[in-house]
Amino acid sequence: MSLRAQLEDILKELKSTGDIEASAIVSRDGLLIAADISSSVNADAFAAMSATMLGAAETAMSELGKGMPDRVVAESSSGKIVATGAGERALLVVMTTPKANLGLILLQLGKASKKVEMLLG
Amino acid sequence: MKVISGIPVLDEMIEEIPEGKVLTYWIDPEVEGNVFAMQTLFTNLERDCRCAYVTLTYSPEVVVSEFNEFGWDVENYKNFNIVDLHSAYVGLPSNCKYSADPTNVDEVNDVLMKVIENCDLVVVPVSSIIDVCGESSIECIGEWCDFIRDKSSRLVFTFVSWPYPEKIENFIKVNSNAIVRVGGVHHRVILGYYYGVVKVDWKNIKSKAILFKLVRPGGVRAYIPKILVTGPYNAGKSTFVHAVSMRSISVDRLGTTVALDHGHLEYRGFSIDLFGTPGQERFDPILKIIGKEALGVILVVDSTKPETFPRAKQMLESVAHFGLPYVVAANKQDLPGALPPEEVRKKMYLPEDVPIIPVSAVNGEGVYEVIDSLLGLLTGRLWVSEDEPESTA
Repeated sequence: MSLRAQLEDILKELKSTGDIEASAIVSRDGLLIAADISSSVNADAFAAMSATMLGAAETAMSELGKGMPDRVVAESSSGKIVATGAGERALLVVMTTPKANLGLILLQLGKASKKVEMLLG
Repeated sequence: MKVISGIPVLDEMIEEIPEGKVLTYWIDPEVEGNVFAMQTLFTNLERDCRCAYVTLTYSPEVVVSEFNEFGWDVENYKNFNIVDLHSAYVGLPSNCKYSADPTNVDEVNDVLMKVIENCDLVVVPVSSIIDVCGESSIECIGEWCDFIRDKSSRLVFTFVSWPYPEKIENFIKVNSNAIVRVGGVHHRVILGYYYGVVKVDWKNIKSKAILFKLVRPGGVRAYIPKILVTGPYNAGKSTFVHAVSMRSISVDRLGTTVALDHGHLEYRGFSIDLFGTPGQERFDPILKIIGKEALGVILVVDSTKPETFPRAKQMLESVAHFGLPYVVAANKQDLPGALPPEEVRKKMYLPEDVPIIPVSAVNGEGVYEVIDSLLGLLTGRLWVSEDEPESTA
């Protein structure tokens, strides 16, 4: 199985958690690696801004001497975005429905992020 | 003995406060403008000038502690004198060498003239005197202004511009050889406070406002809130920000900036914050967010890659379309094949008056010339002193 297919499988599995509208694996410098996103979303911009969001949060937190954040969560009335690191080179980001159960999603996201890290190093 | 204002930028504009002159700090009531006079006094105290500070509404102890708050240990200087009008006013004996009862015009006159004879610089809170002694005290103040004309001293007035009768305002204006206005800036966001020379009769200058903030300790710092550093991918923006800044951080991943660079720089009395943007197109939404409220732009280009110039111009247009001043840093001059600034100008179709500075950010060459050049545009070039090499502009 190709690396790409393996990564896409991870996203598919993540989606089966429920309440996840879109997900993506993004390189730390903001390039899309793999995505499960409807065509109405500008995936490139989404990927870049995810990298910005996580990068800025990591720097802000480590500058304050609080270590690395486990994730960044952005919430609005129409949904949530959760971004988390997946190793040194990549990050994982999901977009959820507004009522999504974050507990379950964070758990699944953590597992998925480890798998991505294994594949991409 | 040469007496200077001790205020950043202002010194380059007016050079000195010559003998026999009256300089007034014209202060909006909302601003702590008194610090300007205190800074002028302390700067000259350190330069061994004999200085006097007239106090009326505060006791000498409070005056000293106000100086101390800014890190100015006036009490350790033998050449520092307080002219105490406060003690007699509140009915206490004074321990100061110079003191007088402010309600006794002749006594105040005698002391002030003695002080003027013996000091190089005398700071007088004229608005406090007018408040306490009434409008008629302007005659007395006028006498000091006349008296100092042929003396080797200077008067520095602090005038807090409460709504006084026009007669008083005009009197201060006419009797001051120089007026420095100190006020607040309210424009959408609070940009801070500003000062600017309104009048000066010993030099020909173009008026210009300078932003400042008060630092404790430290005093008046000229302040350029935000300078944007932008340019195409791999032009060297982050390297530039790090090369000029005293402290800086970057949000970069896999060798490219994904959010921003931030650098802070204290330079020539200015307190500058630099914001570097990402260069790759996918980060363009960030550009507009970081570019908000910037006061000037540094456009960094890779001089060896003219094919990136159209992108550079596009980025410039998206951040500087409100007519912000900008300077181009023609970076990577250390590499073979780097285009000289004039070639960069031609290939980018930039107007003649845009400064283009040759830079090697990696080696730290030319980076401060870029800052100088932008500061020059922001402050009207007035602060540039003779020993500065002129930029290529």
